[in-house]
Amino acid sequence: MTGGAGSRSAPGPQRLTGHEAYAAALSGLPGMGPATLVQILRQWEPGRAWEEIRAGRLTRPSPGRSATPVGLFSEPGMSDEQPVVKSRPTWAEITNRLEPESWWAAIAARGIDVTWPGRADYPAALANDPHPPGVLFWRGSLAGLQQPCVAVVGTRSATADGRAVAFELGRDLASAGVSVVSGLALGIDGAAHLGALEGLPAGGPAGPVGVAASGVDVPYPRRHARLWERVADAGAILSETLPGRAAQAWRFPTRNRVIAGLVRMVVVVESHASGGSLITAEAALERGVEVRVVPGPVHSPASAGSNQLLYDGPGPVRSARDVLDALGMIRPEAAAGMAHVDSPVLSPDAVAVLEATGWRPCSMNQIVSRASIGVAAAGAALDELESVGYVVNEGGWWVRRR
Amino acid sequence: MLATVSSATLVGVEGKAVSVEVHVTRGLPSFTVVGLPDASCRESRDRVRAAVLSSGLKWPQQRVTVNLAPSSVRKGGAGFDLPIAVALLLADEQLPGRSVAGMAFLGELGLDGSLRNVPGALALVDALPAQLVVVPPSCSAEAELVRGSDVRCASDLRQLVEVLRGKRGWPARPPSPAVAAPTDSLDMTDVVGQPLGRLAVEVAAAGGHHLLLVGPPGAGKTMLAERLPGLLPSLGADQALEVARIHSAAGIPLPPGALVRRPPFRAPHHSASVVSLIGGGGNQMRPGELSCAHRGVLFMDELGEFPATVLDTLRQPLEEGRVLVCRARASVVFPARVLLVAAMNPCPCGREGGPGSCRCRESARARYAARVSGPLLDRFDLRVEVDRPDVADLMVDTTRSGRVESTAEVARRVAVARQMASARGVPCNAEIPGPGLDQLAPVEPGARRLLEVRLRQGRLSARGLHRVRRVARTLADLDDRPGPVRVDDVYGALALRSDVLTTEEVLP
Repeated sequence: MTGGAGSRSAPGPQRLTGHEAYAAALSGLPGMGPATLVQILRQWEPGRAWEEIRAGRLTRPSPGRSATPVGLFSEPGMSDEQPVVKSRPTWAEITNRLEPESWWAAIAARGIDVTWPGRADYPAALANDPHPPGVLFWRGSLAGLQQPCVAVVGTRSATADGRAVAFELGRDLASAGVSVVSGLALGIDGAAHLGALEGLPAGGPAGPVGVAASGVDVPYPRRHARLWERVADAGAILSETLPGRAAQAWRFPTRNRVIAGLVRMVVVVESHASGGSLITAEAALERGVEVRVVPGPVHSPASAGSNQLLYDGPGPVRSARDVLDALGMIRPEAAAGMAHVDSPVLSPDAVAVLEATGWRPCSMNQIVSRASIGVAAAGAALDELESVGYVVNEGGWWVRRR
Repeated sequence: MLATVSSATLVGVEGKAVSVEVHVTRGLPSFTVVGLPDASCRESRDRVRAAVLSSGLKWPQQRVTVNLAPSSVRKGGAGFDLPIAVALLLADEQLPGRSVAGMAFLGELGLDGSLRNVPGALALVDALPAQLVVVPPSCSAEAELVRGSDVRCASDLRQLVEVLRGKRGWPARPPSPAVAAPTDSLDMTDVVGQPLGRLAVEVAAAGGHHLLLVGPPGAGKTMLAERLPGLLPSLGADQALEVARIHSAAGIPLPPGALVRRPPFRAPHHSASVVSLIGGGGNQMRPGELSCAHRGVLFMDELGEFPATVLDTLRQPLEEGRVLVCRARASVVFPARVLLVAAMNPCPCGREGGPGSCRCRESARARYAARVSGPLLDRFDLRVEVDRPDVADLMVDTTRSGRVESTAEVARRVAVARQMASARGVPCNAEIPGPGLDQLAPVEPGARRLLEVRLRQGRLSARGLHRVRRVARTLADLDDRPGPVRVDDVYGALALRSDVLTTEEVLP
């Protein structure tokens, strides 16, 4: 694999003539899964593999057995080719039509690069993964992956409290030199990335890492387009998906295994009873990666999945301090910034309203009913509580924060 | 022979005088109606013929031409049956020529000659240019509202002909029914719990503020909305007549005595079309539900299910209190000063809607919320969530505790607040113009600071500021405090304007 590493260090046009184009093109062949691709790339360098395919010496594995080497090295026209398979264009036909180098040059010009197992910049954590990605497209800088990495994941329909916790985790971890890895989704993921961007010291190496299910140049969800740019500028966006491809449902669990493979710890902030973040946690446990859970309110559906996970074994974390502690990298200066503030003195109305609010999101109507005070008085009390950070208003719902 | 009789047709909610000319001449027997009649008008030919024959009168076996003048105006409805029959009998010399001098006629004929009700009689009678108006007995209450003792009734064509031939006097008009004090059967005592919803309804009634209720199914949104008209003061004589005129034109049954004293309550289903809501349609330009709710409450349940095009047509009428419906043939102004009350679910699944408590996708929630456009949402001074009452509230023995206020009690406060508003020179606080706020609804320094903070935080827009100030003024009025608006009032107004229907703001 010396060719790949050499082309990586060389700048400009010389890189374009390297194997990147062929690695990228290989990953786009129909029926090319990560396992097959890894196997091919372990055998040949990408350019050479491409030639093998063009020459028909390397053919598409028969369906359903893509993970096994059977059929991979068979001669063209051999007996294991099924009629169904025959109706599809063969890899040889496809590769003979394609011009990977000019195609890739246009993609590379947009600041997108690619790496694959065996290259120096391929994330070390994935090298020994049971199901490593065959290729990883990326934008930004992979330097953040050299730092300790922690994934902060959770539900897309998160509560204000969950988002606040994710934001604080991201912020405090980034400021402590931990790269925050997440999935760029709405809710918890986005909040964690925003926090990491906020806490990252200028020029700090631990940039946030976003792992996408769509191509690295296709922001999904669209509302996060701006977040994508900021993450790519400060850290990196990775994806197994070809640039330009939209996200498909099946790519999300696959993406989650990449997140789990990249990190030293997965922190689940909030998850519904069946959520994608539980898949990430499961993938992490398979890989021996530590999983930690932020406990949520017992009645909150948004915490049903994460609390179940917590019950099943993984330990809780309350803040970035607990995460750093578990990673064995707690530092006095990092801990100092996370001290709790003293409780302020509250008016009697505010105390009554705070009690009435409880720990579940509740409406103004419920607060007024339970506290048995006037609407105006309740409004004033909530204003007071909000100003000292006890409650937040989220879409008309009042949520207690502390 | 030629004969002319006065009558009227309906355009929108206004009557337009029409003279019915009938010409009977020699020729092949025929009957033609000209002068832009619509189908129901043209069909009068068969009704009139049957009515004339069954009243023991003669049908002229000659060429009959009916002209409805002015011929440029489209005429509709069956109200021309009676004037056509009378003019025909005059032209055929079955009635003495001078017998109908100074009279105008209105009424649909049954095949047996009986006189039937005509929609819009109130406006029609108002437009009749004659001294005496002859209407079906069922229209006499409406006619008397505008013409007093100049109204004459006949129960059928035979009776009318006898009167016109001088064989008998006018039959007595049906007695005006005793106008009972209107009672609303829906009372606020039925609403259990819901302190915020109750306050919102009271404020809406007192200040004329449009109200949006957001809550899960079964929370009592409709229950609250239906009790709102009961809190409004009864309409004055002019307003009652105005509403009666619209209801009459729309064919809505009028209360005894024909005056609509109680503010109307209209609740169109969400499949309503633009025309049915705004008005127009047909030649007569029927008033829409918006106008039928004039001076009352228009309740739009499941606001999110109304087509966006229908909702957005409401914006301008809500602002102006009237709607100008233009068609190629006519343009009509309908009065449309309504109190809009809308209800919707917080999200498509209709669950509690608390953060994280439902599984609606963020995008689905955003789509649902986006069905109500920003400008329309902005028209609602009051936006409150209504949730299912607590079990404890439902099980309270109201007969014993007696702590639930009744409609009468709340309506008393509303009446006081309305009086304070009219003393200020505005119909209600919701209509205080923006520039007049400082003069008509001054705020105390503390309240001003609170508003300033909210503005700086970006939690209140400039338009929102005006709306909050108006609602705060109403809250002070309900408390019978004429002085400047206090900080408590502003807190109350802010609490009644929550950010329901907003979705997650993602990026800075």
